[in-house]
Amino acid sequence: MAKKRVLLVDDEKSFTNLLKLNLEETGDYEVRVENWAEDAFQAARDFKPDIVLLDIIMPRMPGGNVAAQFKDDPDLKDTPIVFLTAAVRKHQIDENDGIICDHPCIAKPVPVETVIEFIEKHVRK
Amino acid sequence: MRSCHFTGRPGPATCPVCLVNCPTVSNGTLRWRCVGRPATLCCHRPPSNTGMEQPIKVLLIEDSATDARLLRIFLGESSTHCFDIVHVARLAEGMERIGKEHFDVILSDLLLPDSQGIETFERLHAHVEHVPIIVLSGSDDENLAVRAVREGAQDYLVKGRIDGHGLVRSITYAIERHRAEQRLQESERHYKFLLESITDYSYSVKIEDGKPGLISHGPGCVSITGYSAQEFEADPKLWFRMVHEADREAVQEQARRIQAGETPPPLEHRIVHKDGEARWVRHTVVACRNRDGNLSSFDGLIADITQRKKAEQDLVKSEAFYHSLVENLPQNILRKDLNERFTFANQRFCAMLGMPLEQIIGKTDFDFFPPELAEKYQRDDRYVIRTGQIFETIEENHAPTGEKLYVNVIKTPIYDAKGQIIGIQGIFWDITERKRFEERLQRANQELAASEAALRKSHEELKSAQLQLIQAEKMESIGTLAAGVAHEVKNPLAILMMGVNYLTKKLGGAEDGIQQVLKEMREAIDRADAITRGLLDFSASRQLAIKSESLNTLIDETLRLVRHELRTKQIVVQKNLGERLPGVGVDKRQIQQVLVNLIVNSIHAMPEGGTLMVRSYTKQLTETSHTEGSRRASHFWVGDMAVVIEVEDTGTGIPEENLAKIFDPFFTTKPTGVGTGLGLPVSKKIIELHGGSLDVRNVKGGGVRATILLRPQKA
Repeated sequence: MAKKRVLLVDDEKSFTNLLKLNLEETGDYEVRVENWAEDAFQAARDFKPDIVLLDIIMPRMPGGNVAAQFKDDPDLKDTPIVFLTAAVRKHQIDENDGIICDHPCIAKPVPVETVIEFIEKHVRK
Repeated sequence: MRSCHFTGRPGPATCPVCLVNCPTVSNGTLRWRCVGRPATLCCHRPPSNTGMEQPIKVLLIEDSATDARLLRIFLGESSTHCFDIVHVARLAEGMERIGKEHFDVILSDLLLPDSQGIETFERLHAHVEHVPIIVLSGSDDENLAVRAVREGAQDYLVKGRIDGHGLVRSITYAIERHRAEQRLQESERHYKFLLESITDYSYSVKIEDGKPGLISHGPGCVSITGYSAQEFEADPKLWFRMVHEADREAVQEQARRIQAGETPPPLEHRIVHKDGEARWVRHTVVACRNRDGNLSSFDGLIADITQRKKAEQDLVKSEAFYHSLVENLPQNILRKDLNERFTFANQRFCAMLGMPLEQIIGKTDFDFFPPELAEKYQRDDRYVIRTGQIFETIEENHAPTGEKLYVNVIKTPIYDAKGQIIGIQGIFWDITERKRFEERLQRANQELAASEAALRKSHEELKSAQLQLIQAEKMESIGTLAAGVAHEVKNPLAILMMGVNYLTKKLGGAEDGIQQVLKEMREAIDRADAITRGLLDFSASRQLAIKSESLNTLIDETLRLVRHELRTKQIVVQKNLGERLPGVGVDKRQIQQVLVNLIVNSIHAMPEGGTLMVRSYTKQLTETSHTEGSRRASHFWVGDMAVVIEVEDTGTGIPEENLAKIFDPFFTTKPTGVGTGLGLPVSKKIIELHGGSLDVRNVKGGGVRATILLRPQKA
């Protein structure tokens, strides 16, 4: 079974490194990290991820805009996106059935198990 | 027992001549034994009807015993008078007796052993001025006796020519004459004294040959005119010049009438005093006529009446002053006597009644006013007369046009000189204009007061809103800050979480110590996350999911959520939930969060167990509460209905110094890790977002009560 391709877009380098390590440790995922939001679109086109884990609050370009770019792109518009952010709280997500701005959402900080749960739930099959 | 008039001794009479023999009875008549004459005097004489009870006391100074005896006999024989004779032979002896007792008359010889001639009389006369003296002389020195009479003796008798009748007459006349003289002298002295004590200026003008001649001026002339009698005498025209120029004619006229035989009345005119000042005098002139009826002199009396005249003039001025006041005042003034009859009305009042004063005086109110008004006026008058009090009122009358007129009335009693009330005085005036202004002013004042109250109310609301705004601003910036901080903290927490996750997996089989460290790190991350979550809760602007809920159900559900905690801490719950509470529009989850916060606080306040009381009820508010910290006003006004939830514990209470801070974010007294310091601020904010209020205060006797007020849903 091929590894699921996960694009991780977050300006926090340490976070991306550690999440990448944790995910790849499972052996189920191939993780590409992009720390600059502007570069996320091009990275997705290159990497063709099965799922995008997208931070919302980033310098220069918020995650929402990145999601909009994906939506406007015919190749990327169906790529699942999961927001992974410190700006939203868990109960807010719960109240909205896990969906924020049309996408599932995970509130930081979060244990890696929860991240995996979400990936498995929303990853392109 | 009778006593003898001659000797004063008790017993029968002693003969006045021999002093020893008593009367004898012979032929039925009492006779002196010595001389054989009838004893008609003294104790033997029957009581007299002449009234001359008192004997005339005679001092006889005579060195000849024969003469003395003779005189005694003469006097003793008098049928009209009774004499008490003291006989001495020497002048010195006589004078001594005079000093000791009273005598009505003295009979004295001029030739005495110790004094001779006129000197005897002079000495006697100088010694006793008040007793008449009759001089006895021999026929050879009658001239001497005549001289004595000229010098003041009442009479003289020539020895040898004296008979009884003549002697008695001489004595009684002498006494009478002497008395008359004394009275005259007394009277003269009296008038002299009187005249001298008069301060008025009197003068006397003798008429000689039908023309005024010699003038004499009394001592008062200096004080009245300033000029002395000598000055008047030296300058005959001075007197007339002294008369004030304007009055000279009148003074001349008075003099003319006097000389013409008339009796002119006293004249009041001015004179110019020597000091140059004009004085008013009253000038009375009386004519003296001689036996022929011709004018012999006239006397003038001039009295200074400047003071009186000035007082009169002042009185006239004062009268004019008050008259002018009374007639020119804009008030109606009237007076009435005790019978309610008008005694005075000023011109204004006359004009009001439309008739002259003469037609008003003597009339009563019933002659001018309708009976009910007249009755009222007289009732007021009687009140003043009865009580002596001032009566003041404002009468409301109606003008013929129907508009209201106001009249201010003051009535006061009038007193006579003895302090008796003799009537009333009334003053009244129209104050309609003033009254209208007052009414307008009052209305304006009321409007002003009303608008001021409205202004004050809106000012208070504004102030309250401003306070809330300031607080909200503060909270808003804290919120923004909190959101930023939370976000920035959450990212490192996320990194730590990832790190711990990684290490846990990698060191899965490691020793217990490492596992414990990783576990504690994981818990620390959770705690930090909880704090940041709370902070965000507090600072987030939230959308409420309002639904009509039953508060009692909500309370029950919340208590179920925390029942484990309550049980472990051995806390007894007392529920007292009101029946038929109205529905309340709330976000159930949020209110539940608030209740959990409050109950958790209570649990923390009772570490040794206790009682938790939860109540719900409705109430009408009797005091308003302005709460701060929200843009959405949570105003409850007096009279508003509210649904109340109370959470009360029996715990430690809140220290007084902390009460003001309990709603400040991050203020906590709980141990680290137990509280975030956000429970109450968040709860308060939630309640205020619901338009309610949250109040937390200590309960007397320990413990804390949190009170939530919510608005019932409108039916």
